Amino acid sequence: MSATVLHTDVGVSDEKQAAAKSAGRRFGALVVRLGAIAAFAAIMAYFVVFAPGFTSTFNLINVVEQSAILGVLAYGMTSVIIGGGSDVTEGGIDLSIAANMGLCAAVYATLLSMGYGDFLSVLAAIAVGMAVGALNALAVVGLGILPLLATLAVLNVAAGMELTLTQNTVVGASSPLLGVLVSGSFLGISALAWALIVFSAIMIVVVHGTSFGLRLYAVGGHPEAARAAGISVPFYVSFTYVLSGFCAAVASILTVSRLSASTPGSGELLLSVLAAALLGTVFSRRFVPTMGGTLLSVLFIGLLANGFQLLNVSSYWVNGVQGALILLVVAITSFARGSEGSR
Amino acid sequence: MSVSTNDTTAKVSLRGFLAKYSVLIAFAAIVIFFSVASPTFLTPANLFNVLVNNVVMLAIVALGLTIVISSGGIDLSVGVSVDMASMIFVMLLAAGYSGVVGVAGGLGAALIVGVLNAILITRLNISPFLATLGVLFIGQSTQQLATSGGQPIYLTSGYAADQFNAIARTALFGMPTPVIVLIVLVVAVHVLLHRSVFGRYVQAMGAQPGVAWYSGIRVPRELSMVHVLCALLAGVTGILLSATVKSYVPLSGNAFLLDAIGATFIGTTLSRERKPSVIGTLLGVLLLAIVKNGLLLVGWNFYWQQVGIGVLVFLVLAASFGLRRAAH
Repeated sequence: MSATVLHTDVGVSDEKQAAAKSAGRRFGALVVRLGAIAAFAAIMAYFVVFAPGFTSTFNLINVVEQSAILGVLAYGMTSVIIGGGSDVTEGGIDLSIAANMGLCAAVYATLLSMGYGDFLSVLAAIAVGMAVGALNALAVVGLGILPLLATLAVLNVAAGMELTLTQNTVVGASSPLLGVLVSGSFLGISALAWALIVFSAIMIVVVHGTSFGLRLYAVGGHPEAARAAGISVPFYVSFTYVLSGFCAAVASILTVSRLSASTPGSGELLLSVLAAALLGTVFSRRFVPTMGGTLLSVLFIGLLANGFQLLNVSSYWVNGVQGALILLVVAITSFARGSEGSR
Repeated sequence: MSVSTNDTTAKVSLRGFLAKYSVLIAFAAIVIFFSVASPTFLTPANLFNVLVNNVVMLAIVALGLTIVISSGGIDLSVGVSVDMASMIFVMLLAAGYSGVVGVAGGLGAALIVGVLNAILITRLNISPFLATLGVLFIGQSTQQLATSGGQPIYLTSGYAADQFNAIARTALFGMPTPVIVLIVLVVAVHVLLHRSVFGRYVQAMGAQPGVAWYSGIRVPRELSMVHVLCALLAGVTGILLSATVKSYVPLSGNAFLLDAIGATFIGTTLSRERKPSVIGTLLGVLLLAIVKNGLLLVGWNFYWQQVGIGVLVFLVLAASFGLRRAAH
């Protein structure tokens, strides 16, 4: 008898505790979330007040320009994560995207230096980028290899081919197209900035404004349900990898124009691309990857680096602050999601 | 009719067999190929060189990743653990401390990285991928700030060099010390992961995190242990690396990350459920090391080696995953 009472008591207090815990969690989430937004705002406000010329149109356009390459790559990565699901080891991911960009840049610069025109060289770079993407698609969709592994192997192939092609040297390049990208401007906005604006607009409209984009989310969110609804899952997943390769090729042309050359070491961009695509999820209410969120996080990373530069803070801090921000942002996400999203 | 059924069964089981042993078959084929192609490949001197220079350090990092991947997570910050251990170890020796203090300090630095990962993952509920990615960025900044932008520290002569030699250039029982360290760690991790209660918990968390939680496994505690162990193992590699090259080169640990992930996942093709195992990981490391060495011996330059390794890993994975899919 007493044991039963005791047991009930324990049950009630458990429920109370659980309720109190979830309320506490919600409160905690609110505090952390507001705190994070305040931190973002504080950093920006600090730059506005103390960094000379931070808010000038010239500087802001400069940030957009600098963000163009990272942005285009991050769109490719985002599309792969949307279509493949965001599971840690089994979800969609394209580790080869930065190496692919390096390979495309090498192909583009080498062909230009051999005297082929812009048209052929751009075509070749895009063909190579999409071929690498198709290889990823074949491995992931056709052979069922884990995306993490398949794109890791392709990363090695692409990086090795870039090295073989350029012998690890800088290949200088100049062409009419590159000239336009470097010095052209329209409505006071430079060509490189326009490239990001136009590319962003297309990606946002296609992924968030069409039924195609909706089906892409369905495929990534619940492949079984998508299949049952008559959506061709293999086609959509393959498409994201080829799109990712296409983005790598577009980014390669932008990077060649910025540096007037193809340079080794583009693979180092991979982590920033991953960070931008994953950080973007915090800007969506349901914490899913979105193109708009990716754009915001790319610009945020760009503004951060720019502000540090204007304040004469050592660039060595940028990575660390970026890392700390990722952790902060993701910690909020997991708080706000509750325990359900913990793993 | 019955003949054709038998025929399909035979085909299916053959495919299953090939899928299961594709890594071993590839391994054997590669060894035979390089033995024919290069007279020096199968000499004891060369194999020993591969073991000391290409296998030991990668294998120790890969052992750590094997534990983490078994638990269903990932650690992208192993390079930071390698680097931090290497940095503190070399800095302590440069300041005149003894080798023992240096090693302890280095492992302590790696331990801090592991504890940081553990806190982020188990207390703040950040997914392992993102938590360790963030730590990777922070670790890179820390090193750049500590070395004014990535200046290497060379200690090639004097007291420190003697301490390095005491670790990397000595032999126990006729084996170089680093190889002994590897053997001890392989046995220890094998027992820990495949023969202990802790190992069963880790495997359970990897297979079914929810079920592991409800069966009373203290998931946060075990998971913390997993990440600390991984960081410590990477720290051992950092110390061996510094002792071998008698220097600390900032941001050099990251080179291990992708190879170690690759080796661990190549190893998973050995088991039907694609579970990582110590034996499989070792096989993956050996495969990568032998291909690198073999391509070098037959005259491929460094650039083509990378293409070769990429293609080979791709083919092995394609065979294993593709054949298994066909077998089902």
